[in-house]
This record gives sequence, structure tokens and C-alpha cells, in this order.
Amino acid sequence: MNFGRWVAIYGPTYLTALGWTAVTAVGAACGALIWGCALLLIRLSAGRWGARGVDAYVQLFRNTPVLLPIYLIYFAFPMIGLPWPAVVCGGLALILQNAAYISEILRGSVNAIDRVQFDAARSIGLAPWSTFRKVVLPQVLVYSIPALGNQTVLLLKDTSLLSAISITELTMQAKLLTEQTGAAYEAFIVVALLYLLLVSGTEVLFRVTHRAVRWR
Amino acid sequence: MLTLRSRHVVTAAFVAILLVAGSPAGGQEKSRMDVVLDRGKLIVVTLTTVPPFAFNDDKGQLVGFDIDIARLVATALFKDPNKVEFVSVSAEGRWPAIESGRADMGVGGTTTYPDRAIRVAFTRPFIDSGISVLVSKKSGIKSVKDLDQDKYTIANLNNPQMADRAKRFFPKTKILTFDTPSAQFLAVKSGRANALQIDTPSAEYWAAQNKDEMEVLSGLLGASQNNGIFLKPGDFKWWLWLDTAVAEMRTGSWYPQYSEIYQKWFGKNPPPQKFYLQQ
Repeated sequence: MNFGRWVAIYGPTYLTALGWTAVTAVGAACGALIWGCALLLIRLSAGRWGARGVDAYVQLFRNTPVLLPIYLIYFAFPMIGLPWPAVVCGGLALILQNAAYISEILRGSVNAIDRVQFDAARSIGLAPWSTFRKVVLPQVLVYSIPALGNQTVLLLKDTSLLSAISITELTMQAKLLTEQTGAAYEAFIVVALLYLLLVSGTEVLFRVTHRAVRWR
Repeated sequence: MLTLRSRHVVTAAFVAILLVAGSPAGGQEKSRMDVVLDRGKLIVVTLTTVPPFAFNDDKGQLVGFDIDIARLVATALFKDPNKVEFVSVSAEGRWPAIESGRADMGVGGTTTYPDRAIRVAFTRPFIDSGISVLVSKKSGIKSVKDLDQDKYTIANLNNPQMADRAKRFFPKTKILTFDTPSAQFLAVKSGRANALQIDTPSAEYWAAQNKDEMEVLSGLLGASQNNGIFLKPGDFKWWLWLDTAVAEMRTGSWYPQYSEIYQKWFGKNPPPQKFYLQQ
């Protein structure tokens, strides 16, 4: 079938799926950033055992494919009486894994802060929490923007795995259309173009943000 | 380092290549039959998540009724059941695997539907099938009529026939759509769904494996159905040979081999070779 005609007929059916991809990606990215910051705080403030705990967490999630927590949370949680909706389970799995990466990104940026600043903070009487919130975190976030952008792009593409647990995001929509129309190439080329669009948009967003806050 | 602008140009070039590659080229092709014979090996696309048709056993080996049928086809071609290579895909991956020529033929609990037969050709059926409903015993569902309530959820596979049947037989039931039968099964096992619809032999296999938790509702959703070998349409020589092979298995000279496989997976004899012959 002619590609243009196929897109004209089935293109609009991608809109809801595009929405699901965007919503899960944005939600999971925000959640992962918050949980990643929390992990960093634990690492910096909870002593040696806190750091070891975070290390173990990071190892666990970095060394397993994200499909595993997605499946586990979606299919195993109902057995222990927690039948959360698919989108919550999938989002949680993405948050848990990406937070592990993000906490490592942020840790790298902490090391880039001059030690003198910590001494200065203590000398003017800032409590540890205030030091973290007012001195460390703002700098760390700004330093990390390019790397966080990369991580967000990875997360965005990982949302395609949510098709495995009955969420009709872009990849699932392509699978459904392939089954319905038999036009596998058309269905997946459209999805490839839409992912390309989303990823490019994300990159531009992070680049503009970085440029805006870099020289403060 | 590429500039922003030249990166966009490169991206656009990739997209263009993708679009061109996506439109299959025409031209005279020689029959798959000759390709397969020259190669000395049969390439079969299959699912790996539909017991007892095609699934991985405890040792991770791909086994099943449909797998053995494919091996029987290889035996007919090369006198060797091992001259076959299996390509595993998910449900919707079966059609592009055939269309692109990646595989010579396909099996895997695949039902013949007229609308499907527009995109892929089917041989005559190598086994009767039908769609049954598997329910969890906890749900208390005893009939398809019970199931038709909005407090129940059914797990579908991502093909339009599943959606159509749901609309027809239980329009009020909530629907979850999965891309593999094993995910459908997990959904019922974990309590995500109360029921699933799948080919009768698969439903019976799962019910037998989980006697305490699941059962198959009596009766079929709609009519008895046919599962066939599928292949790229338009290749008369290859289609005719495969169809002949299937006919020989079910009604002719290869009935004994076919019966052996049928016995192995279903523990009973296949339908009689010819309806007017005494068994």
C-alpha cells in the first residue's frame, strides 16, 4: 500500500498512543529525578552503611534489564495484594531503574564541586541539610543537565517495553496496527518517526535549559 | 564533531533510506521450493509462547505439536527432521517474517481467517482448533454469560479477531491486551485478569497444568477453526507442495507419522484418516 495513503488512514490512531508514551515518559522522568536526588542524599548523609545500601541498589538495577522489574511489579504485586494499574507498575519500574543511573550521574557532579565550598558552608554555620539543599543540589543539577538529558532520552525509548504489560503506547499501537492491517513496515516506520520527533524535542529542551542556566 | 544542522541532514538521510528500504522491490523471483532445496535447510517462523503448539520446555528446547509438524515437513524435504531452523517472533512478527522472506513458512497455533489469508497464504489445516475461555476458579465464572459483567477482566492477544469476539460474546467485560499468550496466562495466574481467550488446545494444556486454579469453560467462542501452515502468497509451486504435504499427513501416506505426533501431544488419536474408513 502507498505509504502516504496508509498514514492518512491510520496516522490519527497513533495520537492516543503518543499521549501515553509522553505521559509515562514525563511522569517517570520526574519521579526518577526526585528518587535519584533522594538516593544521592542518602549516600552523602547516611554514613558508610547508607552509601553501601545505595551502592547495592545501584548495582541491582544497573545490572538487570528494565523489562524484569516491569514484569515483576506488574505480575507479582497482585499476588501480594497490590493490583496497581499497569501504568503505575510500568512507571514505577522505570523510576526505580532510572533513579539508579541518575544518582550516579549526580554523584559525578558532586565530585566536581570544589571541597572549599563545603568548608565555607560549615564556617558560616549552614546545617548539613541546608548545605545539601542550597549549595550542593543547585550546582549538581546544573552540572548534570546534559547527562540527565541523555538519561531522559534512554527512558523515553524504554517506555516501548511497557507494551509488554498491556499499555497501548506507541510500540503497542504499531503491533496492533500490524496485526490489523498487515502493513508492518508502514506501522513501524511511523513509530520510528514519532520517537525521532520526541527524542529530538527532548534534546532541544535540555539544550535550551542548559544554555539558560549555565552562566548564572 | 557534527554541527546541529548537518546532524539534521544526516538524520533526514537515514529516514529517507528507511522509507526506500520499506517499500519492497518487485521483480521475478524463483520459487521458495527451489530456494529451500538449494539451501538444504528449511527456515520456519514460529511463536515460542503457545503450549502445546510451540513453547520452550524445562531444558529450554523449543518443542510442541507445531514444531514437530515443521520437523515432519523437513523430513519430507530432506529425510532429516533436524534440517530446520526456527525463527522465534511475537504474535504480530509472524507476518513481516513471511513477507520479507526471512522464513520459508510459519507455524505456531496460527488460525486461518479469510482476512488473514489476504496477506499470507495458508495450507489446508493440519489440526482443528477453536477458541476457548480459560478462567481462574476463584472468579466463580461458570459460563460465557457469567463472564459478561463489567466487574470481570479478560486477557486478549493483540489481534483484531480477539477484540471482535470480545465485543460479540462479552461486550461488558473489561479488556487487557497482551503481545504473547504466555503474558495472557500470567495475567490470569497473577489475578490481573479473571479469564483469557485462546486456542482450545492451549487452554486445555494450561488448565491441565494448573488443575487447582484454572478451568476451561465448556463450548467454543464461535465456530470450530482451522490451524494451517502459512507462507508468502503467490508462490504456487511452494504452496502446492506444502498443501500436498499437509494433505498426506492428515489423510494419506504420512498419516502414521502424523498420528504419532498427535498422540505425543494430545494423548489421543487424531480424527480418522478418512471418514468412511474404519479406525
